[in-house]
Parts: sequence; C-alpha cells; structure tokens
Amino acid sequence: MSTISKEHSDRLFWLGRYTERLFITLRSLDKLYDRMIDEKHGYKEFLGYFGLIDTYKDSRDFIRSFLYDESNPNSAAFCLERAYDNGIVLREEISTKTLSFLQMAKDTLYNSQSKANIRLSLLPLKDILYSFWGSVNEHIYDDEIRNIIYIGKTLERLDMYIRMKYPFADVEKEFIRLCKNLHRVPKGTPYRYNTNYLCTVVEVLGTERDYELFSDKAIKSLEHLFEPMEVTV
Amino acid sequence: MTQQNIEQFTKPIGNANEINELLRRYGVKFGIYKNGVFNEQFFPFDPIPRVISSEDFKSIEKGLVQRVNALNEFLFDIYHDKKIVKDGIIPENFIYISKGYLAQCEGITPKNRIYSHISGIDLVQAKDGEWYILEDNLRIPSGASYPLIARELTRIAAPDAFSENEIIDNRNYAKLLKETMDYANCGGISAILTPGRYNAAYFEHSYLAEHTGSVLVQNDELFVEDNILYHRTYSGGKTRIGVLYRRIADEYLDPLNFLPESLIGIPNLMEAYRSGNVGIINAPGNGVADDKGIYYFVPKMIKYYLGEEPILKNAPTYLPFYEEDMKYVMDNLGKLVIKDVAEAGGYGVVFGSDLTMEKLEEFRQTIIAEPRRFIAQEVIDFLDLPILDNGETVMRKADLRAFVLSGETTKVWASGLTRFSRNPDSFVVNSSQGGGFKDTWVLKK
Repeated sequence: MSTISKEHSDRLFWLGRYTERLFITLRSLDKLYDRMIDEKHGYKEFLGYFGLIDTYKDSRDFIRSFLYDESNPNSAAFCLERAYDNGIVLREEISTKTLSFLQMAKDTLYNSQSKANIRLSLLPLKDILYSFWGSVNEHIYDDEIRNIIYIGKTLERLDMYIRMKYPFADVEKEFIRLCKNLHRVPKGTPYRYNTNYLCTVVEVLGTERDYELFSDKAIKSLEHLFEPMEVTV
Repeated sequence: MTQQNIEQFTKPIGNANEINELLRRYGVKFGIYKNGVFNEQFFPFDPIPRVISSEDFKSIEKGLVQRVNALNEFLFDIYHDKKIVKDGIIPENFIYISKGYLAQCEGITPKNRIYSHISGIDLVQAKDGEWYILEDNLRIPSGASYPLIARELTRIAAPDAFSENEIIDNRNYAKLLKETMDYANCGGISAILTPGRYNAAYFEHSYLAEHTGSVLVQNDELFVEDNILYHRTYSGGKTRIGVLYRRIADEYLDPLNFLPESLIGIPNLMEAYRSGNVGIINAPGNGVADDKGIYYFVPKMIKYYLGEEPILKNAPTYLPFYEEDMKYVMDNLGKLVIKDVAEAGGYGVVFGSDLTMEKLEEFRQTIIAEPRRFIAQEVIDFLDLPILDNGETVMRKADLRAFVLSGETTKVWASGLTRFSRNPDSFVVNSSQGGGFKDTWVLKK
C-alpha cells in the first residue's frame, strides 16, 4: 500500500481503540463474573471507574447490559459493532482474514446470549481477539498502517488502565509501549503526537505518587494527544 | 466427467451449512435497501455446482470474445465516425435517445482503444443445450467476487469434490483483473472507486481492491489538478492515480460534466480522462452499447465490424419501434416477456402471461405510446438447475453471468456467477430479488 487517506487513518486508529476496548471490557466482565459469585453487587466499583451510577436490578441485568446492549456505549456489543464498522471499510488494508475474526467475534457474542453458561460460551471470544491481533501482524505489511492500529490499541489500553486504577507498574509498561509506537509516526501525519500533551503524560506517569494524585490530568492529555501543535511566530 | 454425468450432477458438494458458515465468516454479503432502510444480507450459496463441459465452454468463450470485441468496436465508432449509423445498420434514433449515450464522451479514445474492460454478459442455456445471450453489461457489471471467494471456501469444505473432478481453477480472476487494470493504466497507482459502505456491492469493491493490490477510495479522497487525478494522502501529500476502476454510475462520476447534484463524483475527472492522464474502467458512455434496445443489433454489429457470423445467439427479440415487430408484439403480448430498456437488476421485466386481461390492455397502450422504451422477447424455456432447498433437491431457473476481460487480449474467465431464483415460479434470478448463487465449474476436458 503506497497511500493512506485521512479517512482511512482515522478508521485504522479507531479500529485499534474499539477492538482493545472490547477486549478489556470482556476481561473486566469475566473478573466481575467471578466476583459476583460471592458479592451480589460486585460490579459497583466497575461502574464507578466510568462515573456511572447503578441503575441495574441485579448482577444479571448488569452483565446483560454490558455484554449485549448496543445502546450502552460501554458494552461489549457496542465496542464490537464500532470495531466492525471501522474494519469493514479497511478490508484491502487489513485483509479479509483479519476482518473475518471480527465477524466471528460478532457471531460468538451474539450466540452466547442463548447459552446457559454465558461465561463459558464467551471463552472463545478472547481467543478470537488474540487471533485478530495475530492476523494484524501477519497480514499487514505496511508498517505505517499497522502502527496506526497499534497506536489506537495502546492508547486505549493506557486510558482504560488509568481510569480503572490499574497498578502503576502496569500503567508504566503500557505507557512505554505507546511511546514506542508514537515514536514511529512520521512527522506531518495526523497521529504525530502533540509534544505539550505528551509531556504532561510523561510528568504524571513519572512517579507512582504523581500517578495516584494526577491521573485525571493524564487522561485529559491523552484525549488531546493528537491535536495539531499551535505554531507561534 | 462426461456430458451425461454433467446432466446427472445433482449432488451437493460438502455440507451446505458448513459452506454457508464459511461464507458468513468471511463476510460475503450484499447490501439491499428495503423501504429506505439499508440491510446487509449474506448471499445464499447453493452447494450443487453448475457444471459446464470443456467443449461448451470453448464455444461460449469464442462467442463471448467475438461479441465483446465487436461491442468495443461499436463504442469506438459511436463516439467517433458513427459509420454503423451512416451505413444504415442501426437507426440513428436508437443511439441518441439511449440514456447511455453521453455526448461528453464524443471524440475520446481511451488508452489502447478499449472501452469495455470488464464485460458481464448474461447467458441462459435452453433445454436443447443451446446458450443464449440475455443481456450485455458493459458499465459496472458486478458479481465476480462471489464465485471467486466461494471457490476458495468450497475447496476447504469439500476437497474431495475438487480432487475427484477435473475443474479449471477459477481463482485467477484477481490476477486477470490486475492485468487488465495495468494495461489501462496511464501512469500512477491503481484505485477502485466505491460510493461507500452502503452500496449493494461494497463487499465486492473491497474484496477486489484487496486482491488486486489497489487502493479503495471514495470521491472525497480524490482530486484533479492540472488534468491529473490524485489521491489525497493523510500527510497532506498526493499520489497520482493511473487507472480508476470506478464502481459508480456514469452520471455521478463528475458533477462538472454530468449530474451537477452528484455528491459522489470527482470534479474534472473527465478532463483528466480526456487528456489521457487516467484510465477509467469501464469507460464512461458504455451504456449506449448495453442498452436493451441496442442488444437487438449486436449480431448485426458482429457482422459489420468483424465480418463474422455471430457464434452465440441473442434471445429472439422484437423492437416495437419497427412496425413489423410492433404487430407481432401486439398479437403475442400474452406469451412474451417485455423489458423496460431503462431498468436493470431484474426490475422493469413483465411477463405477459402474468398479467390480467385488463392489465395486458393497459400495458399494450403503454407500448404503443412509447415503443422505444420496450423490447419484447420470447420466453426461453431455459434449463432448470438443481438446488438444495431445506435438504431437498428442487429445480429452479438460473442464468450465468460470464466475465470477459479486455486487456492486451480479450479473455473469458473460466467460471462466472450462476444465479438462481429461489422462487419456483420466477424467472428473475437477481440477488436484489432474493436469488442465490452457486459455483460454476468449467471442466478441464
């Protein structure tokens, strides 16, 4: 591939973000499933990470909403639909094989609704997503294209980890990953970082103490990471 | 496999559900609008292949190459000297009132004088084994991607069927298409222009882009500067496009030359094309040659341009425009099929036998009032093909869209799209009307 349009670069970025958001959501729900065996409303803390209030009748209602409700922007179904929406217009860049994993993910998620043991029936979904990423590595030869998807993925992961108050060591590792990807972005392209916002994230994630105190600042800076730099004369 | 065995080939290869599951996995879909709402549907695949003998295919191949070569000659002639009109072979009237004729294309000679690079020719086989041409599609014929991916997947699902039968491997379509695109290229990258995800054939656009190594583009990524077509890159740069396989209709291609209200076209594309700086596949203006009214004249074109007898027959066709034909149509309306020349996709097709006396009379008056708008054809008693319907084998109407690619030479893809009607009483096989498709096997010997 010798030419990437702005539209496609955005699609690649969001494909990475939504696929990763889906993965983290599924992993979190899996943990909550386990927790809710012992605690009826064990999902409340999870809602709190995203500033959501508990409007669910019970844990079953919560799980249903966060897995299958496409009108819930935090649900797995919503993330998967958005990932698919972005992927479907990128076939020639990501390949039919890579795209097929999103279709398989959709089918697996949909079919799990009618299964007696939802948690068990969703196990293959994570495997499918691992395969999706394997296919991204295997079938995308253009480094620039692959890197944009990975920027979406690593940015989303860092953002989610910070919001979900992951341990500093995990956040730090993910930040290093993101920085490596950012470093590969050519100057003058839309996913070249804004130095000011990147500096802020570096400052916040410099020490464990600053991370605990100023994580909101890091989240905000990540939101603006690709804003064009202001040029002053 | 012998001819006798071909006729008896009514068994599904592999498990229909498994094959359809694979097609589903790889997203083999087409879009359809119903009541203004867009839905993506999986294109139902039938696991009983259509089998074409080597002998039959050779004859079809020769006939199609002949036909497409003549149609390309016709297009050059019509947009230049119009000798065929001057020599009285085709009435002038049929050219200029055709919606497909575009005055904007007058005098343009595409690279290598090829207008129809990808021709989709619809054929049916009659019960006596004779093949008839039903329709020529020289604008943006679609459908090649479905049998292409289906073969890939049926070879996974039913390998024995392919090792036990000597079938020509049809998975070279993308290679043929790439060669065709390269031959039309005027310097630059290859691109496929799609109207977007919500187009009925979007799967095909993206699949062919992937397999030909082309860039899939929409109009807002393209611009013309100094009569050169460029792709706008995300870094603010530009990449020259040498050939554009456009999958949007002529009238929407360039708002400065055709419909000004088009939101999916590229301003000044025609200037870049006219200057010879970009190849457009298929050439704008081809609609004049696949007009249902012009279809009647194709056998005459073959004789006129090539000095040969047509190898493949047209379905017996009447033009109410001619007095003699009008009389025949009026006398036999109840047994003919009438086609509105402006319609496509199975729309605008009326079987006289389906109409009440009252409707028949009403239709008769419409034909008298607008004789140029319709053609009438004998209903060919075409061969039914076996399909699997809920586990049972039933017989249904089917056609074959053959794909002819014109590059350095004219080649017929040894396969095609066999579409069938799922409705036992229907002759209409279009996917937009609920039809399915099956693999088309061409035997090696």
